[in-house]
Amino acid sequence: MLVIKDLHASVDGKEILKGINLTIHAGEVHAIMGPNGSGKSTLSNVIAGRDGYEITSGSVIYKGKDLLALSPEERAWEGVFLAFQYPVEIPGVNNTYLLKAGLNAKRKHFGEEELDAFDFMKMVKEKAKVVQLDPSFLSRSVNEGFSGGEKKRNEIFQMAVLEPSLAILDETDSGLDIDALRIVAGGVNTLRSKDNAIVMVTHYQRLLNYIEPDFVHVLAGGKVLKTGDKSLALELEDRGYDWLLTEEANAA
Amino acid sequence: MNVATQRQHAKTLFAQAGLPTKRNEHWKYTDVSHLSDMAQTQSTAQTIQTPTTTLGIQNLDAYVLVFNNGAFVEALSSLPQGVDITSVASLLAEENHKLTDLFTLSGEEPLFNGFLALNAANAADGAAICIKANTKLDKPLYIKHISNQNITLRHGIYFEAFAEAEIIEHYLGVDDNAGLSNVSTNFILGTGAQCKHYRLQQEGSKQSHIGRVEVKQYQDSNYQMHAVELGGALTRADIVVNLAEQGASCSLNGLYVLAGRQHVDHHTRIDHTAPHCTSHENYRTVLDGRSHGVFNGKVVVHEGAIKTDSAQSNGNLLLSKHAQIDTKPELEIYNDDVKCAHGATVGQLDDKQLFYLRSRGISEESAQELLTFAFADAVLASMRNEVVRRYVEQAAFAKLPHGEELEELLA
Repeated sequence: MLVIKDLHASVDGKEILKGINLTIHAGEVHAIMGPNGSGKSTLSNVIAGRDGYEITSGSVIYKGKDLLALSPEERAWEGVFLAFQYPVEIPGVNNTYLLKAGLNAKRKHFGEEELDAFDFMKMVKEKAKVVQLDPSFLSRSVNEGFSGGEKKRNEIFQMAVLEPSLAILDETDSGLDIDALRIVAGGVNTLRSKDNAIVMVTHYQRLLNYIEPDFVHVLAGGKVLKTGDKSLALELEDRGYDWLLTEEANAA
Repeated sequence: MNVATQRQHAKTLFAQAGLPTKRNEHWKYTDVSHLSDMAQTQSTAQTIQTPTTTLGIQNLDAYVLVFNNGAFVEALSSLPQGVDITSVASLLAEENHKLTDLFTLSGEEPLFNGFLALNAANAADGAAICIKANTKLDKPLYIKHISNQNITLRHGIYFEAFAEAEIIEHYLGVDDNAGLSNVSTNFILGTGAQCKHYRLQQEGSKQSHIGRVEVKQYQDSNYQMHAVELGGALTRADIVVNLAEQGASCSLNGLYVLAGRQHVDHHTRIDHTAPHCTSHENYRTVLDGRSHGVFNGKVVVHEGAIKTDSAQSNGNLLLSKHAQIDTKPELEIYNDDVKCAHGATVGQLDDKQLFYLRSRGISEESAQELLTFAFADAVLASMRNEVVRRYVEQAAFAKLPHGEELEELLA
């Protein structure tokens, strides 16, 4: 589904990603872990298409297409979804209609009929249950006045409605208490299927207790240093990242 | 002084004052020198033939007063019971003493702002309205002005004690003729009176508009205004509220949506002259092209006006790098026991919000328009009359290519 080859990206002339290689298939859950400043968020943003990153070399092929050539909205239509680390508040823009407009834009892009308003509302109410989002949040402005945990739940709710093929969860666990974490993780697990892939970007192994990954990658210094299964995450939890960095230094 | 003498006096005042110039602090950003001829030329009213019912807000269940190029058209109007409505023209014809207060010029401003004197000297018509004590008007009063030439109007609207009404003042253009509207609307709100006032300016692209709203409020009265600036080439509006007795409150809300070379300047002044009065002000401007917005919000809290509560907020969205805004809050406070706040922001569309919307599948252009709409919504949402609000939303954003599909996106 996603093949990243030797991806180099810079911000303001400073190279952050220094040759990322990653292959993700449908049905898989990947965890990308790493210390602060390792390039985790940059990788998420580059995949979602945020401005301000210069791709100096490498490629990202998604479902056979050059992902980097697509605008953020085209990526969304093709099924890429980013759950933001810091979801932005948008006063005056209704939470539900944002999703309706997003879905309708996608349908229009593929030459399909617009959604029926009644069916849409029914579907949205069902999906809100996935993350136990109070229905009153549906009619509020996007993230406005939401607590940190509510914002993260809202991200997963949006994911449930938009049904992406590739979902990137950028530090969705950060700032969540254990109850909220359970709810969010439960929501993500419900959305797991053989047709979609999920990439969890996180500092902590904690989230992986609730969403079990098929692969764990350690990102440091803008490169994937090590790839393993979920036991790698446990090892990181025990030993921290330093041993990996030392290993890398020794190998070099 | 009778009305005729007052008007003669106004002529003399204008001869001395002339039009305000940019040297005057309050006219610094608005050049009106090119309006001099039009300001002094009285057009002979040419009736516009377009059927007035097709213009303006449709599906509005309201009493209607129609002014066609500055002249009241009774035949097209529908007037409520329990309200005295007379045309100023007919009162002038009989030199009615009721007009004495309406045509009085006081204070220092007429000495340098010649538009005031010109209005008093030349106003040929207007609506003289008195809403009787304890009367609540069951429908809004829609004053529809249609013009394409120079017009001078003077309205007087008097709310007796505990009267309640909604007044919609609408200025509509029909073509691209050049002209100048000089319009003055004067409110007196008696004890406990409640007035909701919408003032929509949507004149032709070459029309200039000099407007003035004066409000005097007695005890516990409430005045809520929404001023919407959409049309015209150059508009200046002075909105002057005097909270004259204890417990009076007002809220002034403004929205400009401008493009091209449009210029809109609002100067508001709220005088807190009595204790326990409240004023709220919320202005938003959306400026595209080479348009220029000016907002000056002055609040004067006088010596005895203890427990004053006053808040002012002004947000400005610049959609083009050539658009310009000059905004200035002015607070003058002459006692210690007050709560006053003000804030102004100037910005462009937020990149983070834009990216968020696009990442959810909204196209770049739609996302820009949606955020613009949402910005203006801070003022639109406070419009209690849904029909008026929908009309303004559509008029303001009809120019946007995705206006229609965005409508339902509003929270």
